[in-house]
Amino acid sequence: MTELILQALYSGLLQGGSYALIALGLALVFGTMKIINLAHGELVLLAAYIAYSVESGLGLGPMFAIPIALVIVSLTSVGVYYIVSRIKKDREINSLILTYGIGVILTNFILLVWKADIRSTSSSWLQEGFEIGPFFSMRSEVIFFGVSLVLMAALWRWLATSWYGRAVRAVSSNRDAAKLMGIDPGRTEMVSFLVAGILAAFAGVALFSYGVIQPAYGGALTVKAFIITVLAGIGSIPGVLIAAVLLGVAEALTVTLASSALQELSGMVLFLLVLFIMPNGLFGAVRRRG
Amino acid sequence: MKRTLTRIAMATVVASAWMSGASAEEFLVGAEIPLTGNLARVGAGMQEGIMVAAEVFNKTNGKHTVKIITVDDESAPAKAIAAVEKLASQGVVAITGGYGSNNISPASDTANKLGLVYITSGGVDDSLVSSGRKNFFRINNTAGYEKAMLGMLADVGAKSVSIVYSTKDATTGLAKDVEKALLAKGVKVTSHSFDPAITDFKPIINKIKLQDKSEVVAMVGYENDYVGIIRAARVLKPKIKAMVGVWSLATPKMAADFPDLMPNVFGTALLAYPTEFKTADGKAFSDAYKQLYKKEPDYLGQFGYVQSMLLFEAIARAADKGTVKKGGVAEEMRKTDRETLIGRVQFAANGDNQNFVHRMAQHQDKKVVIVWPKENATGKLVYPALPW
Repeated sequence: MTELILQALYSGLLQGGSYALIALGLALVFGTMKIINLAHGELVLLAAYIAYSVESGLGLGPMFAIPIALVIVSLTSVGVYYIVSRIKKDREINSLILTYGIGVILTNFILLVWKADIRSTSSSWLQEGFEIGPFFSMRSEVIFFGVSLVLMAALWRWLATSWYGRAVRAVSSNRDAAKLMGIDPGRTEMVSFLVAGILAAFAGVALFSYGVIQPAYGGALTVKAFIITVLAGIGSIPGVLIAAVLLGVAEALTVTLASSALQELSGMVLFLLVLFIMPNGLFGAVRRRG
Repeated sequence: MKRTLTRIAMATVVASAWMSGASAEEFLVGAEIPLTGNLARVGAGMQEGIMVAAEVFNKTNGKHTVKIITVDDESAPAKAIAAVEKLASQGVVAITGGYGSNNISPASDTANKLGLVYITSGGVDDSLVSSGRKNFFRINNTAGYEKAMLGMLADVGAKSVSIVYSTKDATTGLAKDVEKALLAKGVKVTSHSFDPAITDFKPIINKIKLQDKSEVVAMVGYENDYVGIIRAARVLKPKIKAMVGVWSLATPKMAADFPDLMPNVFGTALLAYPTEFKTADGKAFSDAYKQLYKKEPDYLGQFGYVQSMLLFEAIARAADKGTVKKGGVAEEMRKTDRETLIGRVQFAANGDNQNFVHRMAQHQDKKVVIVWPKENATGKLVYPALPW
């Protein structure tokens, strides 16, 4: 039993890292603009399919798709921003409807171009088992867990030290005050969408490398990302990692100790429990008190 | 007298022409299929088979023709109902298609209320044929898959089996039936259900490795589930002797797309690969399929073809009797008794194909080899054998 639980914790940790990578972009946009980009999952999926095209068309590993995915997905994300920025009234509600529609368009675009077949990497190297002591995983899971940590650290540093990073935090805190201080909120919001697109590109390539993709998966990815974002609390980047790992571990332990049929339910129960006890999320309340 | 005879002759010619024109009809047939959503992949495959059936029927019937109207049900039950209603409003005389018992159930209910025959190969859940739908027909069922899996497990002498199954209706039904039958034979069985949304199967496989210690892992799910389960098994390497699945696994597509995961894996299949059709029906199907789609036919196309061809033939027979609009199609469907690409098809009173028995195949050297039952085998069953 100990061995089972330890493996579940390890699997949950790696899965949490993957979830965090997917959720990061959504969390950034949500924090900056108070907008839930319901097309975020489709952006991740678009990157995954670009990785598939690179692998199947050029015979290169998915990692080589990252530069192409970065360009295409971040430009698409900026495109989403320009559409959303046209909303003048009730931005929070109207953006939900608009981004949902954009998500539907992207899903059907993916279906049209890449068809409905399930896809995943055929790279033996990425699929090979990787053992650390008594713990087992796929090589790709460990690699992209590392990538996830690096990207989170890089994002945190960017937000803390770069001009645009501080501008994003300022706009997130008080849009009007930021404007008075000479920050262009529109441009700053566009930058946050651009960075969200960059993060989605990495997340999509990761997803293709360790998981299976299908055009209809975008919605599920968005829901997972949203749960993690809310669990973390608005604007908390470290919170996203912790919330994601918490979710991953909760799911893995549920499968191990109870039933795999309850995995998704455990995620929802955790979500509701945290919100009941800490309505601003795990790290949202701490920031406010600070 | 001469003028009278001429008039009679002309009237006879006109009447014959009118009668032959009137009895040769084009019938609209609805195809309610998932072309988007989670089931898009299987829906597209089934649609290919339906279109091939229409092509072959129109060329060979010589009298009646069919025209297919397709409506996407978006893999959703509510949309499946709407699709059937839309097809009915467009004047279809029957419906072929449907995938996923969860979608077929409400769709066929609607078809039943509208008096339209509904035939499918995409729903194996037993509740579909036990709910009193008079116009519902299907060419495959859980029992056929169950017989194949149990037959193969008995042949290899498996003493312990871990069943990993999705919680969807059809997969749960099949898993429970297989579990019950194996327990009755004294085989040790442990079952692990999983939510269809699950992507990491390592915790389940680890339980099988450390707790169950079974000889065989039986997978009842869909393509994405199989990939996840086999991947997890390749990482954890439980001490098992075989991995066995059901539909959508022993296919040339899986062999081509996942060459590292498929070696020695078992699944149900009616066709070996490379495919070789020996009957006239099979050759007509294969030739038409390759002409229309420029690729080898797969099992989805085969099922879509058989279900639709049976339907078109029933419509043609009913048309000859002038009973299409009077419930004649359902009546003719019940009289069906013919050899097809999936074996002999006869419909019981509840619309089920009572003769359906699937076959088991194994991935060997990037080919799909039929290994069970022995009389249909195209190669030797290799056991124990694993994908790592």
